[in-house]
Amino acid sequence: MQVIERLRRSGVGLNGAATVKAAAEVMEAVGVGAIVVLDGAAPVGIVTDRDLVRRGLAKSLPDDARLDAVMTTPVITIEVDADIHDAFDLIGRHGIRRLVVVDGDRFVGVVSHDDLLVELTADLRQLGRAVAMELHRPSHDPGLPAPL
Amino acid sequence: MRANVGDKMLIKGHHVGEPDRDGEIIDVRGPDGEPPYVVRWGDTGHETYFYPGSDAVVVHYAHGRA
Repeated sequence: MQVIERLRRSGVGLNGAATVKAAAEVMEAVGVGAIVVLDGAAPVGIVTDRDLVRRGLAKSLPDDARLDAVMTTPVITIEVDADIHDAFDLIGRHGIRRLVVVDGDRFVGVVSHDDLLVELTADLRQLGRAVAMELHRPSHDPGLPAPL
Repeated sequence: MRANVGDKMLIKGHHVGEPDRDGEIIDVRGPDGEPPYVVRWGDTGHETYFYPGSDAVVVHYAHGRA
């Protein structure tokens, strides 16, 4: 099956000292639902749009609160050359919707639960075609060879 | 993917009807024009590290020569 590299989406990274307001504005500007908090090139946390609402807005955090005050850490990562089944396993085991993709200890992108579902659906559709062909045009086995 | 400072980073919309997003590459942190990039996004002026995925393309601009 596919490796994660083919499925990964663009990743946006910010320093932990960035503000929650800046993070929200970046999410809107870039059209992403999560921002990875970086220490150099290494991911140390992740902040989703949901985190901004639940940990920021709902707790009346000020706009200039640090991003690392609302991030989830440690972050669950997957290697860029990992198999898609590894992603299924991690997402299922941890009950999360996004995986941070890394190349060694370097952040390189994000893959989401939805991306994996879309990919899986495409594979299932191919299998479904074979079943549909059999249903609509059942094959007829030739008769047994006549006994000698 | 390779880019230069001044190129545009374009992100295709993830959902039907969602507009494309764009930003300007203001720094290239990888070797030989490779990611990661520092991108300044649209009207916000915010700058982030950016790691292009399958949903991003670089629009190269001709760079003036001395």
